[in-house]
Amino acid sequence: MDPILNRRDLFKAFTAVAFTTLQLPAAEPGAPLFFTRDEFALLDALTDLMIPTDDHSPGAHDAGVAAFIDRRVAEAFLAQDKDSWRKGLSAMNELSQSSCQCPFLKASQQQQQEMLKKLAAKEKDPKTEPEKFFTQLKETTAFAYYSSSIGIHQEINYKGNVLLEQFVGYDAT
Amino acid sequence: MALRLSDYDFKAKDHDGYGENWPISYADLSPYYDKVDLYLGISGHPEGLPQMPDGKYQRPIKLTSSELHLRETLKGMDRMLTPYRAGVTTDGLKHNKYRSRCYGRGACDRHVGGCDIHAAFDSPTGLIRPAMDTGNLTLRPNSTVYEVTVDKDTGKATGVSFLDSETRKSYQAKAKTVLLAASTLESARLMLLSKSTLYPNGIGNSSGHVGHNFCEHVMGPSVAGLMKELVGKPRTLDDGRPGGFYIPRFRNVNTKQSDFLRGYGFEGGAGCGMIPGSAFTSPGFGEEYKRHVRDYAGATIEIGGFGEVLPRYENAVDIDPEVKDTWGVPVLRFSYKFGENEMKMAQDMAVTGREMFEAAGFEVLSSSDKVLPEGWSIHELGTSRMGDDPKTSVLNQYEQSHDVKNLFVVDGSAFVNASCQNPTWTIMALCWRSCDYLADQLKKGEI
Repeated sequence: MDPILNRRDLFKAFTAVAFTTLQLPAAEPGAPLFFTRDEFALLDALTDLMIPTDDHSPGAHDAGVAAFIDRRVAEAFLAQDKDSWRKGLSAMNELSQSSCQCPFLKASQQQQQEMLKKLAAKEKDPKTEPEKFFTQLKETTAFAYYSSSIGIHQEINYKGNVLLEQFVGYDAT
Repeated sequence: MALRLSDYDFKAKDHDGYGENWPISYADLSPYYDKVDLYLGISGHPEGLPQMPDGKYQRPIKLTSSELHLRETLKGMDRMLTPYRAGVTTDGLKHNKYRSRCYGRGACDRHVGGCDIHAAFDSPTGLIRPAMDTGNLTLRPNSTVYEVTVDKDTGKATGVSFLDSETRKSYQAKAKTVLLAASTLESARLMLLSKSTLYPNGIGNSSGHVGHNFCEHVMGPSVAGLMKELVGKPRTLDDGRPGGFYIPRFRNVNTKQSDFLRGYGFEGGAGCGMIPGSAFTSPGFGEEYKRHVRDYAGATIEIGGFGEVLPRYENAVDIDPEVKDTWGVPVLRFSYKFGENEMKMAQDMAVTGREMFEAAGFEVLSSSDKVLPEGWSIHELGTSRMGDDPKTSVLNQYEQSHDVKNLFVVDGSAFVNASCQNPTWTIMALCWRSCDYLADQLKKGEI
């Protein structure tokens, strides 16, 4: 993390994205732990729209971002942390129904882009359910993607977490 | 963050007339800060600031290029940016086999319980295990103390009553001396709960000041900026360090603010991290967003303020008449609010933060003067303040109860004011000084 996010006092702002190490319930291999298959497919598509594959590196789908979110939501202590995802995903479908007369995944790529652009325009001051969900989805997708192997090594080319032969201090004199 | 307070804090009343002075000065505590520095290890760079005295430092952490640039800029503004003063041993400690020096891996937050090689100070490896190795310490885990017991005839503390948190059975421990170090809030709670015919307001509370003058730090205002020269540059290894930098208090030191008392410092950081900060500040979504995050990674710099909350008698905790915890022990009730001084100070943080970034030529990406809720700093202090007058203070300068000679409170309770600087190092230096006094008193048979 950037140093400022590293600070315990400030990091509390991000406790919603804290990890836990709970044992997960046994499930059929590959099945989502919390989301239904339909919800999971929508979530996966949305995360990949947020951070797509480009000529530099693979995107959120390949990084397994939806699976990360699914695990985290499954482990969430508070019911509201689970509900907000379910409500958010259905709000995206409702938005799509009203503007494209079909569920989000059935909308054309262009329509999907248009819908997300409208939500992104409000990201600094989200008011409606889909607007709020956009910011939640974006923040969580970013956290998951940039802490994944693809995000760390291929996308950002992170240089840390290596043994320093010598830890040279700064001489301010 | 391991900082020393100065006489701007200990003698704050002499500077601005507000509140009380501490019954000690920096000269009294300075040798004990030295002991803590050498025993636990601290990294930092000496700067010769009167408001934040230097310690016995091991190697300082490296500043990134934008941090260095800001340091140079601030020199012209009579302000200072110094490498994060961390309770982290960067050169190692030969006397402590439980702790390794910092290897700069940048893994500070990746393990439950913090630094897994204990380069960062923690009590279990820094203090408790070495104490156990002396053979003089018995640790009884899963013990929840709910009362300090008292001898009716002598008025002295006789020990504590506690519950075994697994069996829920009640026990008593007998002692010649009782030292409370349960943290500011829990120590106040224990004292207020320890009511008897001798001490109807709680033990050590003849002044009525236990639980009062509760103070901490006000946080929230922050600025995020961009060093444009770094946009699109290749990654560098910047986060193999326990912190970024600190900008010590500059308000009400050589100059006087008309609208608020005391001051604040900034903590901050810059450079490349594992998760780029730009992931949370870049607009939009899709390919454009992804490129923006990549280009801006490592180019951002951020600071956040920590300000002194003035001690006020009316900022207090007391025992809740109804709510009890899981052990059936009454909990604390809070009557605590920021006042006008804190709010004005917080506004000033946002202004000076921007001003410094603009002077450095950073593009301000965002700034906020929003104040975080009371209690956010988790730097609780002051509920049994020290002083020379038993009528207006709970403890003497050795953190010894004015009322009960064999009762000491050696956590943050004794603070007369919160300063704007992190309290841990001061808590430990005070505790060390108090324990030296206690040993001397025991030897002389005074306790």
